[in-house]
Amino acid sequence: MVEMVAQLDPTGIFDIPNTRLIFWEVVAFLILLFLLIRYVFPPIRKQIQDRQRAIEESIDEAERTRREAHELLAEYRRQIDEARGEARQILDESRKQGEAQRERAKKEAREEADKIIERARNEIGREREAALRGVRQEVADMVVVASERVLKRSIERDDHDRLISDALDSLESDVATSGVGDGRGGR
Amino acid sequence: MGLLTLAQVSQDELRHEILHTWETARETWHIPIHLGPIDISIDKSVWFLFIGTALTFLILFVGSRILSTRPGAYQVIVEELYGFGRSFGGQVGEEGKKWFPYTLSLFVFILVLNLIGLIPTSYPVTANISFTIVLALMTFILTQYEGFRRNGPVRYLKSFAPPGLPAKPLMVPLMTFLEILQEFTKPLTLGLRLYANILAGHLIIFVFLGLILYFGLSGVGAIVPLVSVPLAVVFYAFEIFVAVLQAYIFAILTQVYIEQAMFREDH
Repeated sequence: MVEMVAQLDPTGIFDIPNTRLIFWEVVAFLILLFLLIRYVFPPIRKQIQDRQRAIEESIDEAERTRREAHELLAEYRRQIDEARGEARQILDESRKQGEAQRERAKKEAREEADKIIERARNEIGREREAALRGVRQEVADMVVVASERVLKRSIERDDHDRLISDALDSLESDVATSGVGDGRGGR
Repeated sequence: MGLLTLAQVSQDELRHEILHTWETARETWHIPIHLGPIDISIDKSVWFLFIGTALTFLILFVGSRILSTRPGAYQVIVEELYGFGRSFGGQVGEEGKKWFPYTLSLFVFILVLNLIGLIPTSYPVTANISFTIVLALMTFILTQYEGFRRNGPVRYLKSFAPPGLPAKPLMVPLMTFLEILQEFTKPLTLGLRLYANILAGHLIIFVFLGLILYFGLSGVGAIVPLVSVPLAVVFYAFEIFVAVLQAYIFAILTQVYIEQAMFREDH
């Protein structure tokens, strides 16, 4: 039959049945199938599946990391805000404290000054008093001496005192009326 | 022109030049082997079958052994090929996916043989009708096997008569006959399609180049190479596309036929 076909088709283009090719085709293709399905496809499939799993894990991991980063960022923002608020508070407080301190110092200084002025005023008053008293005594003594000298007689103690007092009072009133002008001029 | 002058050839010689691949294959690299009355000698076509088979295995085997988590270009190609083959599965039903290793192997095998056949002085194994018909027969056997196995013999045979036929006594046998006939024409067209496409591509290239021999290089013949060589190159490039396309068509149709048989009852 092969010869018959070969006669019909001397060109070999319509090459049927080519028992050589058919036989070896079946053998070769079955061996190829066996080898591929047994030894070649499983590792490729495993590799693809592994990579797929790895990619999925990486995506999950990235997602998780991103979320964590977001949380951290929010946390830091919150902390910064808090710190800023705290700083502002501290600043305000210290400003207030400084203000208070200044006020207090001012007040104390004013009080101190007032006290000093007061004391000085008292002192002046007392000095004036003492001076007046001294002058009065001096004048009295001088009057007594002068009177004794003029009268050359002793006067009763009571009269003496009364006389002095009278003399002084008149003198004082004289001083008061004329001394105002003196006092002003003296300052 | 001197040296370039080419004697015109006779039509017989020209025919031989165009068909030499097929005419001489049986005698080239011939190792006679006989299995009883059957001639299983190894000739040029068988050698190229072996080369193609080995190359198919090596391409995928090497790809499966240099796998790393950070794939290089080669690994990407092999993995893409595998992923492409996996997409064959599930044309009709999800269960059909289990056949994709077969159709993937078929795809790479036919593709490699198609491309090897394009190398000058090689032998295009897929342009041999014995080869393609036997491959199609394998598809046929697997199709019928899956049809009977998944549906059961009775249900599978009954499914050949489409439901809802009018004039049942007449139409049921007729339609069953036609459907069964179709089951046989499927592998026939499958095998012939691959064979005819690859053969035609090769013949066209040889014919274009044969024109140069036919016209010689003298006179009008001097312009023939200027036309036929570019045309042959264009067709050669087109043949590379056809090689991929026909391998894909054969593989995908095999997958579809098997799955159609599996889910015959459901459709």
